[in-house]
Amino acid sequence: MASSSSLSLSSPHFPSSSGLRSRSQRDPAEAVVSIQARKWWPGRSGSAAAVAAAVRKRYKGTAMREKKLAEMIEKKVEEAKAACEGEERRGSDGCKVAWDEVEEVSQAMARLRRRLAESDRDPLDAFCQENPETDECRVYDE
Amino acid sequence: MTTFTLCTLSSSSSSHLPCCISNSTTEEVHLGSPLLQRQFIFNTNWRKGRRGRGVSCGISCSAEAKTVVIGLAADSGCGKSTFMRRLTSVFGGAAEPPRGGNPESNTLLSDTTTVICLDDYHLLDREGRKEKGVTALDPRANNFDLMYEQVKALKAGVAVEKPIYNHVTGLLDPPELILPPKILFIEGLHPIFDSRVRDLLDFSIYLDISDEVKFAWKTKRDMAERGHSLHSIKASIEARKLDFDAYVDPQKQYADVVIEVLPTQLIPDDNERKVLRVRLVMKEGVKYFNPVYLFDEGSTLSWIPCGRKLSCSYPGIKFFYGPDTYVAHEVSVLEMDGQFDRLDELMYVESHLNNLSTKYYGEATEQMLKHGDFPGSNNGTGLFQTIIGLKIRELYECIVAEKSVTPLEAARVF
Repeated sequence: MASSSSLSLSSPHFPSSSGLRSRSQRDPAEAVVSIQARKWWPGRSGSAAAVAAAVRKRYKGTAMREKKLAEMIEKKVEEAKAACEGEERRGSDGCKVAWDEVEEVSQAMARLRRRLAESDRDPLDAFCQENPETDECRVYDE
Repeated sequence: MTTFTLCTLSSSSSSHLPCCISNSTTEEVHLGSPLLQRQFIFNTNWRKGRRGRGVSCGISCSAEAKTVVIGLAADSGCGKSTFMRRLTSVFGGAAEPPRGGNPESNTLLSDTTTVICLDDYHLLDREGRKEKGVTALDPRANNFDLMYEQVKALKAGVAVEKPIYNHVTGLLDPPELILPPKILFIEGLHPIFDSRVRDLLDFSIYLDISDEVKFAWKTKRDMAERGHSLHSIKASIEARKLDFDAYVDPQKQYADVVIEVLPTQLIPDDNERKVLRVRLVMKEGVKYFNPVYLFDEGSTLSWIPCGRKLSCSYPGIKFFYGPDTYVAHEVSVLEMDGQFDRLDELMYVESHLNNLSTKYYGEATEQMLKHGDFPGSNNGTGLFQTIIGLKIRELYECIVAEKSVTPLEAARVF
């Protein structure tokens, strides 16, 4: 865990030892001065995420889930707008619950998107290895 | 008679050595004496690092490890997941959803840690909440009795069957088996709400995101979705605000650490909210937790690291450190405004902070680099979350050391 060789930055632009030397060689004052001033922060759109997305097999079940959540967001936003229309309904319980549901599905969608972007395994991977014959586990062709 | 060195364990919250204060006395002890229950032999291998490089509690006896429980409270869409990933990463390995079982499980597992999402303790599912007119933020929607029982069981080393709240269907799915881990993280809206659960926590953190930043983050999260607009995002935040302020926000006063994320003061009229001002509010007197400080503990300082030795790009970096009072508690506050642009800026800052609980020079920077693609990696959110991760590691090691009181075995003595 400690050695500099284990620092594998996801972006290919950066050398693997980013100026941090191994423990035995560390001299604090020198370490700070000797590190070259170069950008290290690859940012959210690192190339690893793109590679992962391209390589991974997608199951129908996951694509369906994504589609369902997108539809739910649309639907629930409409319901919330309706539930809060008019003076009477604006501060009501129905109004706040409706927007809370919007938040819930929006967060669920964000969570799914992030999981897809960051892992090279489909969330249904383990399930589909056990149950390859189910409809959910058909490989998805976009 | 055997003569050996005994070390009495005492924890002193004001000292820099949270874990082991060696007070070696040589005493003659009879094996089987009741004294042995309270004292144990260990090879004191603690070093006080000059810059608070952490105390290592070297223990040679076997630990009867019980689960350490950490709570993390924040609103949804406020960076809890990112924080969790940084925290679990400090303990090694990435925490991932359980393989096999319900694919909608909210739980994360790694070798040493388990993360439980408290939505699983919803008493009412989506339909139920709609019927009762209650949001998920409302305590009435949550089963605190079950939460308490199960966290208590896991802490005592007993496995539990925990319900699963399915965020897609909005229903409560059949339970999954959770084995007691070394470290249990519970994250959600109400980890510190119920007093019984609060007493079970070894450490708690509250992520306090200001309204402007929350709006910016949720916009970033939702704008690409069909159905959402700036109006709907704003309406959703506003509609939930009342319940949030009533039920979630008051947990701040109980947290050991509060991380406040605010708009920057370095850029006038900033609307992008990309540059952030982050305040690490650390309670004084928390067992095994020594607040991070800048230069001189207990004093007040303003520090701009950019200058002759370090050149930074706009808008630069500004630090503040000082004691304060927060909801009637004594706290220390470390604040960072601005963002890191280059590795050397991060290293430079790390070399000037104290009590970081790192085990070697550059460890905090290394941890930040490991997750350079996480949001917040270039500002105070990433830095402080990483630091808290290291401090929780130290706290965990100290708790485990404290609990490893075992009766002496003759073999060990010789």
